[in-house]
Amino acid sequence: MTGKILTSRKPLTRKIKNRIIAVLVTSLTIAILVVFLIPMIYGIVTSLKTEGQFAKVGAPWWPATEGQYEYEGESYEVFKVPIDGEIKKMALVVKGRGQSQLVDIDNPEAGLIVWDGEWRQLEPIWEFDPQWGNFLEAWNTINFPRLLGNTFMYASITTFGAVLSASLVAYGFARFRIPKKSILFMLMLSTVILPSAVTLIPMYFVFLQFGWVGTWLPLIVPAFFSWGTNVFLIRQFIMSIPRGVDEAAMMDGAGPFRIFFSIIIPQSVPALTAVALFHFFYAWNDFFGPLIYLAGNPEKYPITVGLTAFNRLYAQSFNLIQAAALVTVIVPVIIFFFAQRFFMQGIVITGIEK
Amino acid sequence: MKKILLWMLVVSIVVVFSMVGSLIGCKPEAEEEVVAEEEVAEEEEEEVVVVPVEKTEVRWFVGLGAGSDEGTFAPQEAVVEEINAAQDKYEMILEIVDNDVAYDTLAIQIAAYNAPDIVGPVGIRGRDSFFGAWLDMQPLIDASSYDLSVYDPALVDFYLVKEEGQLGIPFGIFPSFILYNLDLFDEAGLNYPPAQYGEMYVMPDGTEVEWNMDTLREVGMLLTVDANGNDATSPDFDSESIVQFGFLNQFTDPRGIGTFFGAGSIVADDGVTAQIPDTWAAAFKWVYDGMWTDWFIPNAAYQAADFMQGAGGPFSSGNLAMIHIHTWYVAPWALGEVAFDWNLAATPSYNGVVTSKMHADTFCIPKGSKNPEAAFEVLTYMLSEEIAPKLLTIYGGMPARLALQDTYFDTYTETNFPDKDDINWDVVVAGMAYADNPNHESFMPAFQETTDKYNEFYNTWANTSGLDLDAEITALTEALQTIFTAAQ
Amino acid sequence: MALSALRKPRVRMTQLQKKEAKWGLLFLTPWMIGFLAFYFLPMLASFAFSLMNFNPAVPDEAAFIGFQNWKQAIITDKEVLLSFIRTIKFAGISLPITLGFALFLAIILNSKNVMGKALYRTLFYMPSTIPLVATVLIWNGVLSEQTGWINVIIQKLTGIQVVGTEGLRWLADPRLIYYTYTMFGLWGVGNAMIIFLAGLQGVPTEYYEAAEIDGANWLQRLYKITIPLITPVIFYQLVLGVITTLQYFLAPFVLNQGTGFPNGMTRFFMVYFYKQSFTFFNMGYGATLAWIMFIAALILTITLFGTAKYWVYYAGGERK
Repeated sequence: MTGKILTSRKPLTRKIKNRIIAVLVTSLTIAILVVFLIPMIYGIVTSLKTEGQFAKVGAPWWPATEGQYEYEGESYEVFKVPIDGEIKKMALVVKGRGQSQLVDIDNPEAGLIVWDGEWRQLEPIWEFDPQWGNFLEAWNTINFPRLLGNTFMYASITTFGAVLSASLVAYGFARFRIPKKSILFMLMLSTVILPSAVTLIPMYFVFLQFGWVGTWLPLIVPAFFSWGTNVFLIRQFIMSIPRGVDEAAMMDGAGPFRIFFSIIIPQSVPALTAVALFHFFYAWNDFFGPLIYLAGNPEKYPITVGLTAFNRLYAQSFNLIQAAALVTVIVPVIIFFFAQRFFMQGIVITGIEK
Repeated sequence: MKKILLWMLVVSIVVVFSMVGSLIGCKPEAEEEVVAEEEVAEEEEEEVVVVPVEKTEVRWFVGLGAGSDEGTFAPQEAVVEEINAAQDKYEMILEIVDNDVAYDTLAIQIAAYNAPDIVGPVGIRGRDSFFGAWLDMQPLIDASSYDLSVYDPALVDFYLVKEEGQLGIPFGIFPSFILYNLDLFDEAGLNYPPAQYGEMYVMPDGTEVEWNMDTLREVGMLLTVDANGNDATSPDFDSESIVQFGFLNQFTDPRGIGTFFGAGSIVADDGVTAQIPDTWAAAFKWVYDGMWTDWFIPNAAYQAADFMQGAGGPFSSGNLAMIHIHTWYVAPWALGEVAFDWNLAATPSYNGVVTSKMHADTFCIPKGSKNPEAAFEVLTYMLSEEIAPKLLTIYGGMPARLALQDTYFDTYTETNFPDKDDINWDVVVAGMAYADNPNHESFMPAFQETTDKYNEFYNTWANTSGLDLDAEITALTEALQTIFTAAQ
Repeated sequence: MALSALRKPRVRMTQLQKKEAKWGLLFLTPWMIGFLAFYFLPMLASFAFSLMNFNPAVPDEAAFIGFQNWKQAIITDKEVLLSFIRTIKFAGISLPITLGFALFLAIILNSKNVMGKALYRTLFYMPSTIPLVATVLIWNGVLSEQTGWINVIIQKLTGIQVVGTEGLRWLADPRLIYYTYTMFGLWGVGNAMIIFLAGLQGVPTEYYEAAEIDGANWLQRLYKITIPLITPVIFYQLVLGVITTLQYFLAPFVLNQGTGFPNGMTRFFMVYFYKQSFTFFNMGYGATLAWIMFIAALILTITLFGTAKYWVYYAGGERK
């Protein structure tokens, strides 16, 4: 009996200790997260502002509009004015240097009151006023459904092709002895090492000869023939899988394809999911490729190119761009949130007899 | 082993060619849809089934200059549809590319032998950036007996480039002027800038002064205010908390700023010697002092601040009293939704001379166009008396066609600013007389490199206080000389 | 002795080995076809450009000039070496910080000690999905010395006067600019993070359990189990990190408009390439620069691969 009491005390303090660690680590994570997300909050807040809010000096960082008061058919801003010993809410009708004319919003019949002082030093009344309409405006301006549809189609198809082809090729590089394999591998990596900007024009020319310029093909088809980065990554993963099960299966007479589909793929699900996500989001945000191959075909544009419509000559519509960007982000985020389950599955055992 | 590799090679070549072959066979879907629609439409209209005529395609590339922001898409498409409907020889295809990436995209297209047929609207700078790419239109003009007398001959010569030929036909001109914010002037108790050239400016104390750069500086300082309400002439002025600025040469480059004080060229007549004209050096110093000593011009840090942002750049924020700008800015995208009242005024003089720089846009035909005759014919439609004004109201330019200039501004105001009927267009017309010659965007050796170099210097000046500008100007001249010499 | 070590004896392949090679090549076919169809000719062409004087605006006037471009790039043009050194300097600052942060995040967000991991992972990932157009606006806004949030927050929290042109100038101060770019790069850490996370999944938990039973603490578990077993992924990130940082272009292009400001410090190698190819239209010279970068990066990559056998552990590694 005594023994039981003794052993039951140890786990209790251990539990508390673990709890404390958990709280500390979580707090640390949250702290980092908050700092990390500050620019993002800026983006969200911007998307809810009116176009003019930026220009209002002294405007709060949150979406707000000044209180307005209508006087004789026109709207004027309301300030907190220290006058006659108290602070009154007054509408600034005539701005001036050193002297301005205001109207008491509680007593408009008194007419314009002359006030000595600098109106710039007065505090405006800010009202929290998020412009949800920005999202609607952004949605309507650039035909979001079609852009989203295009982007989704482009991202899904290329991801499928990329993961399929990359895993096949990576398997070849990882599990087979091929003469001059390292040279072939370097050759494949060289397509990544050579800056793509320099092959831009010849590639465009090649696709032009195929007649593919103006269509999605130059962007989709190469994905089905594997990308260097994806192959490299999957190859690293496959090489981390011990060969024990492979060899057992080979002795049972399984061919390479069988081993690939039944043994390698299941164990590589986290890696394949990571590559799929990686590729999906790369395609989701791809800008320059679609730009030059789809120029002049706005009905085929993905979102990234479509967003340039918010660029005016020399300037931009900040709030609308942020609103549009946030709408664009929703789909990848949702996909990511649910895809986590697929690549967060760990493996417990290696399955190898020691 | 070798056999396997060879076999792989053969297979891949076969695959590639079959891909090519299968695609040459089919037409792009868009064309098929259009053809199908036309057939259906024609069948509905006529009883006899008419075989649709094969229309020659003419690609119009927009983006080097104006025309790439969202508000202009629909009007431009409408014009294209109108031209297509009016004749059945040519099918215009509109290709709009955002201005930020238009230069790169066009370069790729031309280099890969996929050049468009018409490029524009393009200003002098855009034209000169692609030096050598444009077709000499003179043979086409002669062949079709196109009448150039409807244009100001000086403008026609504008597009006659040495060794390249007649690269364009005048389309639109964009004179410049001072654009000012009436509300800010009212608040400061100042008179508005002169609405006419030659008019004097009346200071608050009643004295009449010449409307020149010194006056502009004084007025600008009175209109530069800090958070406490002190203006830049006051001893209590706090330059770290400025909330309103007096003046800016908005959306231009160093050559434009220099030309504000007087026209000149960055290269001497011999085409090799680099120079910064005296007027330009004076302009740079005036602007530099304005940014870091007198504070009435926002420096780069202030230009990036939140309160100087707006859909039309700093002026549209409402916190900048005056800018020097061209007519393409007097457009809905820039001034459409501003909350303040604005109007146009005369450009100030320097040493008794007024220089109001000019932009001139046209459409060019790339040498690589597959069908220059078709392109030229479509171009004549675009420049015609019926179509040109429509395009000009989209871009904000004055017609180069002399006959159209009188009635133009009424149409422009009606289309773009129906609620505002007091725009001082007279100063725009009068400004034409003060156009800069040589033009501030005219050709320089190693055009892009030179542009890059002086922009680099200017960027440093706009960002750094305490520089010795004379030394900077000398350094710039030397840097430019290196470029010019290497370009020979 | 050295020579004989270099010369590997030419071994005839056995039937089994030939079969293995055939299967291997079969799996490589998609890549080989794609390479020959889409990459081979353009790569050759780009090398050919480097031997030519090519102005994209007038492609007909392209002329063969032999190795003049190469001579100019290697011998005469000082900017080539300068921009290369800048790029290396930047890589030295940015790469360790970015990879380290991604790994740190992955480990923390994989640990059982954190509550609500799935949510945090998504939130850390979110910024990397924002379109570049918006990201640039956000960062320009946040970094502005006059009204940007970063300076305002620092000033509010610490009281030090950092707002304004006398304060912290993130995009204009030569001392800060590389750290600013690193900050900007850290925002996109989501991608590296999920790759590390995927790698962490491959570590069998039975090792951790065995270690705990043996009394190892978290630090020992980290160094003796986690890190060694994810070296394949670390290797991938390192190689790819080196390659992409050498090609660093986007941030200086969108945040400093490719001007090289301040003091030319942001004129990295690929920025200079872009200037030459697309701004000055010297595509031949630009192609030369790109190929120089290619050779340098290839050498670095091959070296890294050479070091791999000393520190990268592949559980299913190469058979001899």
